[in-house]
Amino acid sequence: MLSKSQARAFFVGGTFLFSAIFLWLTVDTLRQIPKQSKTENMTASVIRGKHLFDKNNCMGCHTIMGEGGYYAPELTKVYERRGPEWMTIFLKDPQAMYPGERKMTQYNLKDEEITDLIAFFKWIGEIDLNGFPAKPDLAPAAAAAPVSASADAKTASAPKPAMISSVCMGCHSVGGQGGKVGPSFDGVGSRMTEAEIAAFIGDPQKVRPGTAMPNLGLSEPVKTELASYLAGLR
Amino acid sequence: MSIKFESQKVSYWFFLSAILLLGLQIVYGFIMGFAHMGYDVLHQWIPFNTARAVHTNLLVVWLLLGFMGAAYFIIPEEADRELFSVPLAYVQLVTFLAVGVIALAGYHMNIWEGRKFLEIPRPLDYLVVVNVLTFLFNTGMTIWKAPRFSTTGIVLYGGLFSAALLYLPGMITFDHQTLDSYFRWWVVHLWVEGVWELIMGGMLAYLLIKLTGIDREIIEKWLYVIVGITFLSGILGTGHHYYYIGAPKYWLMIGGIFGALEPLAFLGMALWALTMAKKGGANHPNKSALTWTLGCAVMSFVGAGFLGFAHTLPQVNMWTHGTLVTAMHGHLAFWGAYAMIVLGIITYAMPLMTGRKLYDSPMEKWSFWSANIGISAMTLSFAVAGITQVYLERKAGMDFLLVQKELHPHFLGLVLAASLFALGILCFIVQFFRYGRPVAVTKTRPHGSLSGSEALNP
Repeated sequence: MLSKSQARAFFVGGTFLFSAIFLWLTVDTLRQIPKQSKTENMTASVIRGKHLFDKNNCMGCHTIMGEGGYYAPELTKVYERRGPEWMTIFLKDPQAMYPGERKMTQYNLKDEEITDLIAFFKWIGEIDLNGFPAKPDLAPAAAAAPVSASADAKTASAPKPAMISSVCMGCHSVGGQGGKVGPSFDGVGSRMTEAEIAAFIGDPQKVRPGTAMPNLGLSEPVKTELASYLAGLR
Repeated sequence: MSIKFESQKVSYWFFLSAILLLGLQIVYGFIMGFAHMGYDVLHQWIPFNTARAVHTNLLVVWLLLGFMGAAYFIIPEEADRELFSVPLAYVQLVTFLAVGVIALAGYHMNIWEGRKFLEIPRPLDYLVVVNVLTFLFNTGMTIWKAPRFSTTGIVLYGGLFSAALLYLPGMITFDHQTLDSYFRWWVVHLWVEGVWELIMGGMLAYLLIKLTGIDREIIEKWLYVIVGITFLSGILGTGHHYYYIGAPKYWLMIGGIFGALEPLAFLGMALWALTMAKKGGANHPNKSALTWTLGCAVMSFVGAGFLGFAHTLPQVNMWTHGTLVTAMHGHLAFWGAYAMIVLGIITYAMPLMTGRKLYDSPMEKWSFWSANIGISAMTLSFAVAGITQVYLERKAGMDFLLVQKELHPHFLGLVLAASLFALGILCFIVQFFRYGRPVAVTKTRPHGSLSGSEALNP
């Protein structure tokens, strides 16, 4: 039968042995991390972005590399999913983008801070995370495929501006793809004229007070380009 | 029937602070439960990240207060002498609470470090270190000057000492997210799946010795075996946090294998406690304390062991990582392993400190069952919500916020279950106050030997 001194030897011996193995693996891990995480791409902007992320406890709601608060979306691949234009507009006024939905604090970030955060997310998205996050394997093929211009090619007369996919479709959908926060773009051309669309997206609150649509501060050429495309969706 | 040393009474104030902070922790839990249901009405004043940081930090603070209170109660008895310094213990309590209050207030003003579980700003970290060193000095000097010392005491002190040591890697600043995460888990994982189990094992051994009447030598022998298994599996088990943070791929295998072995330590604890209770001949009158002790051993296996195993394998964790499945495991694990052992030692110590034999009142029974059934139902709600989230969001690729809306009903279930749980905790707090304040030690006994028979005449 096991004696108390044998039990103690098992505890002390096991602890020392496994601590030693753990430390040895840590040394090896520290050697491999720079390559796996592409440390050479960690610019000063990325580092400032990381500390901004920590300073505001973004992890308290979001998850990054799967770690965080489970209350707000996973951000590991946010750069790939949303792109810098959408993220810039969103971070300026998070609640405007998702009216009446789960709230995010308005941090009043400066432009350069937003640039730093986006640089940080871009770097995070490029780390080799051993396959995480996995691609949805039960998703219908259409929803899983990247947003493409082909879905609405039949109805639209003007070419699709890049901003439609990178920003607008975060909330609106075209041909069943995109977000569900705002109304679908399908058939918007038969509901509104090009001038009405241009006036609305130029200053949504003025045209329709109380609307959830944020003022994106669009320049005149961009506004015209968007309105012309949207008016073609009949 | 009372305590042996006057200085053991300091633990009363640690226990009191601990259970009141537990109450406050539950309040912040409700804020988050309602936010998840869509009623984030306090968002302007207490956004979710504030509520979450307060909720988890209060947990750590009240558990540490409970551990410290337990140490101030157990160590004098195991060392067979008065505590080195009673005033120092009070100074330590007050300063610990002060640091805690400042940190929590800061979380409401966006002042924190923003690293999950280690949100305390760096300057306050240094105060925590000074405080814990004071605690270790006080209990350490008690042990140093003791005529003799027991295995139970050594394991308990060893756990507390190592916990303090492992706090330090959490105080290094990193620019690199992977390194930050790597060393953050040295604190978080090696605490809760490592050295805290030493503290828990020491407290469990003490309670079993007192409550079952089994010979100390036997209980302590198995204590070594169990904490041996804890470290054998738990140290390399840290690897299950390194799967997807940008660390090498071999962690998937190492973390998977050793993470899967971690439940063995908790299974060992459950079997150990149940066997000792069954074999023990002692008919200790404080049945509630025994119920909490055995309940802790069983629930820690279910929550920390079994539910941890449920998502520790890399092929499962690939889908569940970063979802509410983790919250499911986290709640029952902390409750079973650490909250229950603290509530157990309080239930054991209160009649001895106050001289009032209120044990086995309906209030005590209700607090145990209501809290345990409540948290089990909470765990079930988190499990259903978590699995739904995994399938809709991770597997079917639905948008995050749309999935969260689908989960609202499960959070209604969670809040209802949490109400039952909160009622149990409220009963515990009421019962604590019914015991009243500690009384002076009346009966002086000769310094006895540390044999198993002491349990028969506590």
